[in-house]
Amino acid sequence: MWTSSGGSSASSKTAKRKSSSTAGSAFNEKAAEKMFEEFAEEDDPTVMGMDGIIKLCEHVDLDPFEDKRVLVLLWKLGSKEKPSQITKEEFLTGCYNLHVDTIGKFQSLIPSLDTGFLDEMEFKDFYKFCFQFNRQGTHRTLDKELVVALMKMVLTGRIPDDRLESFCTFVETQEAYTRITLDQWTSFLDFCFAVPDLSQYDESSSAWPVLIDEYVEYMEELQKKK
Amino acid sequence: MATNVGNQRIIPLEEGWNDEIKAKAIDKLEALLNGEMKSGSMFGPKEYVQIYTTCYDMCTQRSPYNWSRELYQRHGETIEKYLTTTVLPALRDKTGQGGTILLTELRHRWLNHQIMNKWLKKFFTYLDRYYVKHHSLPTLSQAGLRCFRTKVYDEMKGETTNAILGLINDEREGKIIDKSLIKSVVELFESMGMGSLDAYNSDLEEALLNSTREYYAKKREDWINDSTPDYLIKAEEALAKESKRVDDYLNSASETKILKVVEEEILERVEMVLLEKESSGCRALLQNDKSEDLQRMFRLFSRLENGLNPMAAIFQNFISSMGDDIVNRRQARLEGGEKDKNDDPKFVKSLISLHEKYLGVVKQDFTGHSLFQKALKDAFVEIVNKNVGQFTNAELMSTFCDRILKSGGEKLSESEVEESLDRIVQLFSYLTDKDMFAEIYRNQLAKRLLTQRSTSDDSEKLMIAKLKMQCGTQFTSKMEGMLSDLAVGSEQRSEFENRMRSVDSKLDFSVQVLTTGFWPTYKSPEVALTPEMSKCMDIFKDWHEQKHQKRKLTWVLSQGNASVRGVFGKKSYDFQVSTLQAIALDAMNNGVTMTFQELATKLNAEESILKPLMHSLSCGKYKVLIKTPPGNKINPTDTFTANPKFTSNMRKLRIPMATLESSLNTKRVEEDRTIAIEAAIVRIMKARKTLQHQQLLSEVLNQLAFFNPNPRDIKKRIEGLIDREYLERSADNAQVYNYLA
Repeated sequence: MWTSSGGSSASSKTAKRKSSSTAGSAFNEKAAEKMFEEFAEEDDPTVMGMDGIIKLCEHVDLDPFEDKRVLVLLWKLGSKEKPSQITKEEFLTGCYNLHVDTIGKFQSLIPSLDTGFLDEMEFKDFYKFCFQFNRQGTHRTLDKELVVALMKMVLTGRIPDDRLESFCTFVETQEAYTRITLDQWTSFLDFCFAVPDLSQYDESSSAWPVLIDEYVEYMEELQKKK
Repeated sequence: MATNVGNQRIIPLEEGWNDEIKAKAIDKLEALLNGEMKSGSMFGPKEYVQIYTTCYDMCTQRSPYNWSRELYQRHGETIEKYLTTTVLPALRDKTGQGGTILLTELRHRWLNHQIMNKWLKKFFTYLDRYYVKHHSLPTLSQAGLRCFRTKVYDEMKGETTNAILGLINDEREGKIIDKSLIKSVVELFESMGMGSLDAYNSDLEEALLNSTREYYAKKREDWINDSTPDYLIKAEEALAKESKRVDDYLNSASETKILKVVEEEILERVEMVLLEKESSGCRALLQNDKSEDLQRMFRLFSRLENGLNPMAAIFQNFISSMGDDIVNRRQARLEGGEKDKNDDPKFVKSLISLHEKYLGVVKQDFTGHSLFQKALKDAFVEIVNKNVGQFTNAELMSTFCDRILKSGGEKLSESEVEESLDRIVQLFSYLTDKDMFAEIYRNQLAKRLLTQRSTSDDSEKLMIAKLKMQCGTQFTSKMEGMLSDLAVGSEQRSEFENRMRSVDSKLDFSVQVLTTGFWPTYKSPEVALTPEMSKCMDIFKDWHEQKHQKRKLTWVLSQGNASVRGVFGKKSYDFQVSTLQAIALDAMNNGVTMTFQELATKLNAEESILKPLMHSLSCGKYKVLIKTPPGNKINPTDTFTANPKFTSNMRKLRIPMATLESSLNTKRVEEDRTIAIEAAIVRIMKARKTLQHQQLLSEVLNQLAFFNPNPRDIKKRIEGLIDREYLERSADNAQVYNYLA
């Protein structure tokens, strides 16, 4: 469907995408590219920034601020290089892997973006992506308010409600940390899976981040007050 | 009759037996033993040879006249008969008449048996040589012994043992008994084992151990109401006596067993009761310095396995409570209104005395045993780290050293200084926050050195050497650096003095160069200098440049000092002041009046510096300047002028000024700790590549010798390192870390 133009690096990568076409549904790279151009940054056509992403969401009827499937989509497409954006390269490879080359196909993709379909390993990877993607510029940490909002959006249904609720309250009210690191973020999920029952928690032998020790302490204090 | 080879007559069995052996040997032997003949008329050589030869012949005769078997049998029968018909009745007769009588008879019969056995063996020796061996039979002696055992010993052993035990208990109660009699009977028991101590053990020793146990259990009940020292004296005596008893008449193998039984009954069972007695137990003895009693207690309980542990625990508790008293007294003083300073020599001296005293007790009363050394150490670690008031004990100890090492402090002889420093270093060794001590000590050392208030360079070096021995080179490297800066400085001083003189003979100026990093960080205010001062500084700068091109100098005017000649009318004085004070005085020369603000501008000094500066010159002991309006507080609206009425009896005066900065930098120590923890983590992980969380924690704690971080702090550093990608959590196990190269 498309010809490889010699010499440019883009083409050597696109060479990979030369599809072993299954009967009737070969990938239309040109169409995908055209889609990308519609949403690309004005001053940098190799990148789709937040504006473009929002626009794409509007086209497929997804709420870019409330619907976590947007994040799932970006994750599946393969945004990695920088937060809050996706490069053309990443986009095209992603589209190829997901077999989408039109808006219509994006739309029909949406139901499959539910996180319920992800197993534990996949979900952990997605969850980590959520943090990474939401960073601002070169910052390596996230503001605690953003963390709370993000957790509520992404973890609801995946971990027990009371755990999510109490942890978010704790993060909001504690004053020791104004920003949350990636390690703290990913450890929280691992902690939820590993320690479903807080009474089993043993700080003296735990490698969990101090934030989590403090959370458990906070919960114990609440218990005492009851 | 048949004839033998060589024409010898064949001896028939009954003839040989009855006429020769029985008549001449056995009957005579029995008569002797029964006391029917004069003793001393045992078999002479001729007699003996004859009997022996008869036996020999009877055993070497050709078959069917070889009477070996018969003779062997009759040997046994003879003994048996004698024992049964003569010996046993005699013994049975003596039972029920008291132990001594029975034992005496038994000894008599046993000795007799040994004689009989010996002679019979001698007579029938030829049997031992061939017949016995050939038929794998017991030897004649063995057969004899066995006979005694089965016929006599087995029947009498029960009563014999009881007799012996009875006598032993009599002796325990203080009665005199016949020891050699018992000893002989004990030998009987020993022999009845036929090469082993089995008979002795099961027939005598076992019963002895039981009766010993019973006896001392009862004694224990009698004694237990005594005071502990009295009880222990009795216990020690009892053990000594039992030991001697074994020596006197028992088999030596019994010693450990008997002593163990006694120890169990009179020491082990009541150890805690004895130790914890209200007014005479271990704690009371310690309280009342009962050295001898403590030594005895130690000796006795060290016999028991783990017997010393409860004692050491009481010792530790005791010292802890004494230490608590000292700490509480300090607290009470502070609460009672005493000023909370960083100097409390009473407190430090009390701790030192306590330590010295009980170190002595450990060495003298407890033979320096490691359990007690550890108890002392653990108690002191607890005490020394109990801080009261706003100053830590680390600081109090350092100030104590400062007192000793600075001139005008404690007046001590050289050996007293060494002793004091030695003792303070011992206390120091118990501090958890040693790095805090080092920081404070360093600051105080710097002050002593820079103001030349150190009593003796040697003492300073001595103390640093002691700290080095405790903690290693790294701990004292900065302190040593400070001393070496001064040493280098004094070397170079004369060289620079010459230089100064050659340039301008009127200026008397010297500079001490400090290596940054060794010394505390001082503020370097950029105060405006007098022209003479600037000139001096320039001369030095040039000279220094020539010597060391690459070094950058920063002037620390706040630490310098000067001598200012003040002429007040006809009188003149030499003021020893700081550089800053000198500049201020210079500005006030010739009776000018200046406002605070004017001075601030002229000197280019901040308020935080100018205030204490002007205070020292106008509100202190020597009011060289007059402040208007008068008062003890410096306000920016004040004016100053030289005091024309200033007078003093002394010619040379030192005008002190408050130090401009707090010398203690806790923040610096915290930062160093953070760095030390991280360095330790990285070092360990680099070597091990992968490590479980608990192991990493414990290795880090091992490596940090000078302070004790809590696990959360270490975890925070680990998280920091994860964030900076030195480490990662293992994907398989969140409790394991991997090193990232």
